[in-house]
Amino acid sequence: MLFNSFHFLFFFVIVTTLYFLLPHNRRWLLLLLSSCYFYMAFVPVYILILGFTIVVDYFAGIFIENAAGKKRKFFLVCSLVANIGILCVFKYYNFINENFSFLLHGFGLTNPIPYLSILLPIGLSFHTFQAMSYTIEVYRGHQKTERHFGIYALYVMFYPQLVAGPIERPQNLLHQFRQQYDFDSDRVFEGLKIMIWGLFKKLVIADRLGIYVSGAYNNVPEQNGMTLLLATIFFSFQVYCDFSGYSDIAIGAAKVMGFDLMTNFRRPILAKSTGEFWQRWHISLSTWFKDYLYFPMGGSRVSVPRWYMNLMVVFLISGLWHGANWTYIIWGGINGFYLVFAIVTQKYRDRFNQFTGIVKRPRLHLFFQISITFLLITFSRIFFRSRNISDAVQVIKKIFTFKGSIFNDGTAIIIYCFFAIFFLLSVELKKEFYRGSFTLSRHKNFWVRNSYYSFLIILIILLGVFDGGQFIYFQF
Amino acid sequence: MSKILTQIVTQRGYLYLLKKLAAFMVLFILFDFIIGSFFRYLYFRQTSGWEFRTKYSVEDTRADILIFGASRAQQQYNPIFFEERLHQTCYNVGRDGQPIFYYYGILNGVLRRYSPKMIFLDIENGVFNSEQSSYDRIGVLLPFYKTHAEMRQVIELKSPYEKMKLQSSIYPFNSLLFKIAVGNTKFNKNRNEDIKGYIPLSGELHEPIRTVSFLNQHVLDTNKINVYRSFINDCIKHHIKLYIVCSPYYMKTIGTDTSISIAKKIAHENNVDFIDYSKDELFLTNSTLFDDTVHVNVAGARIFSNKLIDNILVKE
Repeated sequence: MLFNSFHFLFFFVIVTTLYFLLPHNRRWLLLLLSSCYFYMAFVPVYILILGFTIVVDYFAGIFIENAAGKKRKFFLVCSLVANIGILCVFKYYNFINENFSFLLHGFGLTNPIPYLSILLPIGLSFHTFQAMSYTIEVYRGHQKTERHFGIYALYVMFYPQLVAGPIERPQNLLHQFRQQYDFDSDRVFEGLKIMIWGLFKKLVIADRLGIYVSGAYNNVPEQNGMTLLLATIFFSFQVYCDFSGYSDIAIGAAKVMGFDLMTNFRRPILAKSTGEFWQRWHISLSTWFKDYLYFPMGGSRVSVPRWYMNLMVVFLISGLWHGANWTYIIWGGINGFYLVFAIVTQKYRDRFNQFTGIVKRPRLHLFFQISITFLLITFSRIFFRSRNISDAVQVIKKIFTFKGSIFNDGTAIIIYCFFAIFFLLSVELKKEFYRGSFTLSRHKNFWVRNSYYSFLIILIILLGVFDGGQFIYFQF
Repeated sequence: MSKILTQIVTQRGYLYLLKKLAAFMVLFILFDFIIGSFFRYLYFRQTSGWEFRTKYSVEDTRADILIFGASRAQQQYNPIFFEERLHQTCYNVGRDGQPIFYYYGILNGVLRRYSPKMIFLDIENGVFNSEQSSYDRIGVLLPFYKTHAEMRQVIELKSPYEKMKLQSSIYPFNSLLFKIAVGNTKFNKNRNEDIKGYIPLSGELHEPIRTVSFLNQHVLDTNKINVYRSFINDCIKHHIKLYIVCSPYYMKTIGTDTSISIAKKIAHENNVDFIDYSKDELFLTNSTLFDDTVHVNVAGARIFSNKLIDNILVKE
């Protein structure tokens, strides 16, 4: 079930109404059943995979808490192997097999292992990571085992964040299912407003830009450099609005019922460095990797070469997390390289900034920092968006020729795209640099405030793409 | 139930929310109505552009001969020749990229006002193939939903929730803001030559003919086939002389497209003439009559239109 569908609208209204009408001790059951229905609306049979990981991790949690010494580690490893194993079978099996075939082919051999004809379960990487964070936290002693099977299952399956995050931690979410939330109209309104903004980002900005981006990237050989450059910049905004739009709807839907999900985006397009970008983009995944991979490897408290290697490993794995394709691994590698390069060159860049005197002009300096970061991140996304490496290389080659006129399948599309980006940037700049100054969305006057949200809904109806389809991050 | 209602009424939070929601809805409905009415006004007073052509086809044309189809109708049938040689008025209602749902929607709009004497329906390869985009494109007919009851059946095919979405006065004009604005200026008139709905193509193709295989079967859309049948039936019911035409291609084919075979069969079942130019030697051997492999250019349109008229004159 897609957040941007009428199906979800009915589902949300019915579930939320029933949620507040039911006594507190029955709400978990309603949420669990509705989450099952929500997930089964995609491919029903895949709920069995989810069920398997829930059962494994539920018992793993209990065994870890009851055990001592090496046994604790053993149960943790069992749980991690089960989770990663499922991920490997459904997401990486064919990718590994394909590369194995390629390797054997180099030696003149044929790969006897067959390919699997399976569909990737929606949001597999998201709920697997969320489930793993539970057993790891229980193992570390930061989280008590959840003995109530239904509530544990709900922790993994809570419908707002089930298929595309935010990837929650048990410390933040589990206890909320036991908390009693009375109906609070202010909170309901707050949640609805977040949902409207999320829908706006998805339907008006992401899906509109997606029309142009798909047109260019699905037919790279026919496009010229300028078209691909524009499409790549558009894609940067598209992927941000698509994913953060989903997160906003998830956070808003949960808020309506009283739940607080973690912030997943903090205006990453205004990041001043690639390092800062990763503190603002997909925060729930970045912190997951930091807590469960980067720090256990030693983080930055190791020798300098090892530190650089840790960064590269985290980003390469992050790339692989996104998809079973070399394009994602290269994308991760480029971003890891950016961080290492930034650390290595920090001293020289500071000297250069002093030399040019740009530091004395903070606004100009800020503008350059934001622009350069945006361009670097956008460049790496060429690999993220391209269907294969050869397409990505072709895109890069063509872009750097700076030749050709911009492909224009109707002037209206380009105008809508620029309007969408302008609107987004206005809101983001206002939130980033002028917080607390004049505001429409939080204006004291009821009618002004609501006129603003009516206006947003009208823009959604007038300019939204209603046939745009699913969210980009569902495939992960 | 009464318990729930009592709870809603007595708890301050619920009542407060309901009041606020009601106020918000009033505000929204008011905005929706005002802005929607403004767009409706602008839409129906356009004087050029794609939306104007659709509006003109549904609400204004009184031509004796109408030409239906997608880009291959719009860019290949020159009404001037039909008027000169058949001594009847003619208008080309074809629209680029539109599926058969569009043609049928327009036909319903036309038949509400009058019955043309003759209709040419251009059918192309894959016309019945199942594609989601065909349903999305019904969107261009949304502005007529409110005032044209006869077109609703087709428009509601767009999605199961279309009826609900169309409660909004703004939704019919979704994504049309820019086109409506331009349609109210002279910009399109200065840019595109529009000869009674026919838009000439000036390019010339210089490449060897390629071969296309139709041996792979596509999934067919029964809705499209049913709409095609309805199109024929409605023409017969209104005593309109209908010709179904497959216009020229610059490509050799292996096998026959399933859609074309079905279209031919249904036409014959209903005693409707099906005229096929897709394998016409004159066009297959002359690439310079084409703008691209599926559209003839202005010279090709002249030859094709006259060839078709010759055929009609012989038949009559």
